[in-house]
Amino acid sequence: MEMLLTLVALSCLVTIVSAVLFAAATRDVRSQVTVTDERLGDLPPHVFAGDRAQGAAQGVPIEVLLLQIERHVRLEQAAAESFHRAPTVQALHAPTTSPLRH
Amino acid sequence: MTTPNLFRGLWPDAASGVMALGAPRAVTSGTELFHLGQRADHFFVITRGRVALTLPMQIAGREEGVLIEERLEGETIGWSALIPPHKFTLTAVAQVDGEVLVFGRDDLLQFLSQHPTAGYTIARNIAEIVGERLQVFQAMWLRQMQHLVELQTGPARVQS
Repeated sequence: MEMLLTLVALSCLVTIVSAVLFAAATRDVRSQVTVTDERLGDLPPHVFAGDRAQGAAQGVPIEVLLLQIERHVRLEQAAAESFHRAPTVQALHAPTTSPLRH
Repeated sequence: MTTPNLFRGLWPDAASGVMALGAPRAVTSGTELFHLGQRADHFFVITRGRVALTLPMQIAGREEGVLIEERLEGETIGWSALIPPHKFTLTAVAQVDGEVLVFGRDDLLQFLSQHPTAGYTIARNIAEIVGERLQVFQAMWLRQMQHLVELQTGPARVQS
């Protein structure tokens, strides 16, 4: 009986130690993942196009976003080809109806 | 079919001779003609249909082929086959059912070695195709840069 109780006590001890070690290891990983470069906080919003794309991707299904990109590329290509045929400053900056541009 | 842009300006004999080198191939919507990074030994002239040229982009953690250009009947795609290092730099996918002519680089070069005048015309056409693409993409790039600037500083006013 004493031996059995000793075994149970040892098992409980091993389980508790394992749980503590596991929790510590998991907390370490999380803290590593959330480490950020403090300099990023100084940047103004929307420095890169990706800032907006990420926000859009969260709210818009990927298929819709891909269709928007396709439309944007067609419109921008047409505008650029117009500039190629008749190069002027106005043609270079001619607006399109692309929602990704305005 | 209109004269393919690559063969524009050729004498009729040379044009028919070079067109005879192309093997017709039917394509269905979604068919991939070539893939980014593949060795480029063949180029294609679209005789019917529409082909999308795409590049991979990461969107929400997924890699998606994003449209870069569209090419239509009479236009040449895959001219990387004619220019070193002979690797495709885009992926081409048929957007609708259609047909292309498939040309082997070696067949064309052999033909042109026997018809140097045609070779000169085709070399000029290649330069025109590549030059147009460069200028169009320069303009697209500048427009995108302008957009990024406007996100920071507000809409620009173009002076006339």
